[in-house]
Amino acid sequence: MQSKLSDIELIEQTLAGNQAAYADLVKRHQRFVFTLAMRFAKTREDAEEIAQDCFVKAYRNLASFQQQSKFSTWLYSIVYTTSMTFLRKKRVDTSSIDDDEGYIQIEGKPSAYDAHNIENKSRSFYLNQAIEQLLPDDAAVITLFYKGEQSLEEIAQTLGMEANTVKVKLFRARQRLKEKLERNLKHEVKELI
Amino acid sequence: MNHMEEQLWSYIDGTCTPAEEQAITKLIAQDEAYSLKYAELLKLNEEFGTMELDEPSMAFTYNVMESIRTENAMQPLKATINKRIIWGIAAFFIVSILVLLGVAFGSMDWTVRGGNTTFDVKIPQQLDATHVKSFFSGSIVKGFLFFDVVMGLFLFDAYLRRKRDVKQH
Repeated sequence: MQSKLSDIELIEQTLAGNQAAYADLVKRHQRFVFTLAMRFAKTREDAEEIAQDCFVKAYRNLASFQQQSKFSTWLYSIVYTTSMTFLRKKRVDTSSIDDDEGYIQIEGKPSAYDAHNIENKSRSFYLNQAIEQLLPDDAAVITLFYKGEQSLEEIAQTLGMEANTVKVKLFRARQRLKEKLERNLKHEVKELI
Repeated sequence: MNHMEEQLWSYIDGTCTPAEEQAITKLIAQDEAYSLKYAELLKLNEEFGTMELDEPSMAFTYNVMESIRTENAMQPLKATINKRIIWGIAAFFIVSILVLLGVAFGSMDWTVRGGNTTFDVKIPQQLDATHVKSFFSGSIVKGFLFFDVVMGLFLFDAYLRRKRDVKQH
């Protein structure tokens, strides 16, 4: 059985003309890149477009990757820049933090089926719901920290900020996420009563 | 900013200094408010870690690779217009112009008359184009067309080979 190649080995093979190596690299990072793009785009179609664009850009500039940082850090910085450009182009309204009005409230007495459904909803569902309500920047910092296996310094490099700024951003993003999570869970409990 | 929370998050993330770490450990052990908050944040931290990644469509990798292949397929067109061809065309025109100038100056009558340098351009009264017509005889045209067909087939074969190589990758 062939051992799993590292990112750097796959990059070297890609640069030597083996496109299949790059396909492996895409497969390895696509879930995270897509998730990060989702934090900015909100719709799956737009997020896929951003993620695809990022991988094409990364391929085009692969020779300029200096290997001074992790490939993922370099790739995520492309995702961040591309997503920000996308936001500017699409003029997405990112000003609303209290976007509870964005949720469709279904009136009526909850049935036993609803209660069962709510019970069945995993905590990760509420967590993802709360993340979706965050500002793109906050959601990106949280995602990079918890799922991107990135240190504060690496996140700082990705976002083009100081590590201390990222630390403060992460602290605030966690607070907001906690508030959203509590509010959503409280709302679900109220619905049941 | 909540100082206690900030301290505890740094403690959980492991970003505080050893001295700070020691002080916070002591506070958690002695102060109930710290201890309760620490337990709460620790649980929250664990929960944030359970965040699930979204999955792109099944065709995502294929779409990315297809975009790259399309981009690569367009690049050889750029590469074929290399500088040697451009310089070759430029050299042809430069040589043609120089030859024409040479012929023009060669046909001039550079004589000194009465202390003044004068020149007289001898333009042929009637151009004899009979030898030019012979260049366009049937056999030459046929040869030229045959060469074109061979070149066309050669380029078509190169194009098909390139397409096959891209598919194999």
